Amino acid sequence: MDGRIGISHLEKVYGEGSERTKAIDDLSFDIDGGEFTSVVGPSGCGKSTLLYIIAGFLDITNGTVSVDGTPIDGPGTDRGVVFQDYALFPWRTVKENVLYGLEEAGVPDEEADATAQRFIDMMDLSGFENKYPKELSGGMKQRVALARTLAYDPKILLMDEPFGALDQPLRETLQDQLIDIWGDLDKTVVFITHDVEEAVYLSERVMIMTRHPGTKKTVTEVDLDRSRPREDIVTSEEFTRKKNEVWRSLREETKSEVQP
Amino acid sequence: MATHDLWTPDRLPDPFAGVAKFLFDWIPLLVLVVGWEVASGRAVSESVLPPPTAVAAATVDLFATGEVIPHLAVSLLRVGVGLGLSIAVGVLLGIGMSQSDAVEDFFDVFLSLIYPLPKTALVPLALLWLGIGTKTAVLIVFLACLLPIVMNANNAAENVDQNLIRSARMMGTSDRRLFWKVVIPATIPEILTGIRQAIPFAFISLISAELIASEQGMGRLIRDAGSIGRYPAMFATIVIISAVAYTAVYGFEQIRERVLVWT
Repeated sequence: MDGRIGISHLEKVYGEGSERTKAIDDLSFDIDGGEFTSVVGPSGCGKSTLLYIIAGFLDITNGTVSVDGTPIDGPGTDRGVVFQDYALFPWRTVKENVLYGLEEAGVPDEEADATAQRFIDMMDLSGFENKYPKELSGGMKQRVALARTLAYDPKILLMDEPFGALDQPLRETLQDQLIDIWGDLDKTVVFITHDVEEAVYLSERVMIMTRHPGTKKTVTEVDLDRSRPREDIVTSEEFTRKKNEVWRSLREETKSEVQP
Repeated sequence: MATHDLWTPDRLPDPFAGVAKFLFDWIPLLVLVVGWEVASGRAVSESVLPPPTAVAAATVDLFATGEVIPHLAVSLLRVGVGLGLSIAVGVLLGIGMSQSDAVEDFFDVFLSLIYPLPKTALVPLALLWLGIGTKTAVLIVFLACLLPIVMNANNAAENVDQNLIRSARMMGTSDRRLFWKVVIPATIPEILTGIRQAIPFAFISLISAELIASEQGMGRLIRDAGSIGRYPAMFATIVIISAVAYTAVYGFEQIRERVLVWT
């Protein structure tokens, strides 16, 4: 299946001379097509840097990062990014935001309109098509951002702490919506978060990164039956065990941060 | 207008609140006019400070005889052309400087130099180069309006939300199209703010130029009426051009609100 991400001996250095800081050091990690992977790590570990490199926003210092075997060369429509701050075009209505990627791809008007409407409906945004982003709540804005990204059908979803600014109940609703979408649409998802429970709840694999400079520390495989309701999953013994495993690994990193 | 913020009529029902706020906003002006009327001919000689009633009569007279019409037309043309030119050049320059370091380096020194300069100080020089009349007035209006427009446009274009640009590029927008699809729309609110700031400058500089270097226009009319002792007509001309400037600002703000429904 398409949407594979290959990361091999990735190194990312910011700045030059005395300003040089290594953000990512010798990171190798492969993600299968259609896989849901979360990346957790202490703040400043380079997890967002990693996401921006996969997105093509940042250059690589050493190593390779490829999508389906082709090295990444800048942003492209095979990938889609969902930002924590939504990044909706404020001058475009909900519908016009969702249409953006389709317009840029040259999809004929009628077809684009039908596709946009399908994702607007999927994200429970019917009735809000003609609203501007400023008229929407944070949760709705993020659903518009998701609909906009899904509409142009990228193989890979790159999500940078997308629910970090939302309150707990809303976050849970969106997490469940994301799981449904992922199940229906066969996307590869790379999900950056600092919330251990969120990472374990959503993903098949959780990569924990070391603190500065960031690299792969441990990878926890999570094999939960996600067809069950949330309350059954989060109260299951397996969920708790995995959560503790990830939490302990992350804890070692954040603990060392406190030492002078 | 600052007076709009002085009082919030929370406690009154809506229709009354609107009327009350309107009255409240204009009371200071009313007090001034009444005080002026009383003072004129008593505290101050009527020939130096004609009463508002005389100024009102002169205003009606200026329109009734048609005397003010050609002056007003010329002044409006000069403001329109000067402001229009400054918008065209200012927006291009402001955004151009954000897109290219070479453009920025080249123009930065000129903008820094003319920034602290009172534009009206250039009237005698403009007069020397361009002679008496419309060209001089347009140049001065243009220069006075240019900076707020350049600076607002430049500032906005340089501070476009990076994640909007990233999103657009991710969705297949090329660098060249990015300019039209993201940079321009993201910059429009500040461009309109710049124009809003420039409108009063346009009228100030217009009158300054016309006072010195024009055979026609409202500035010239003020000077002529003043020099032959037609003080009510002089005041009337000031009132008319002030009202026109106020209407221009107010009208532009209405348009701006309508254009920027999304902000």
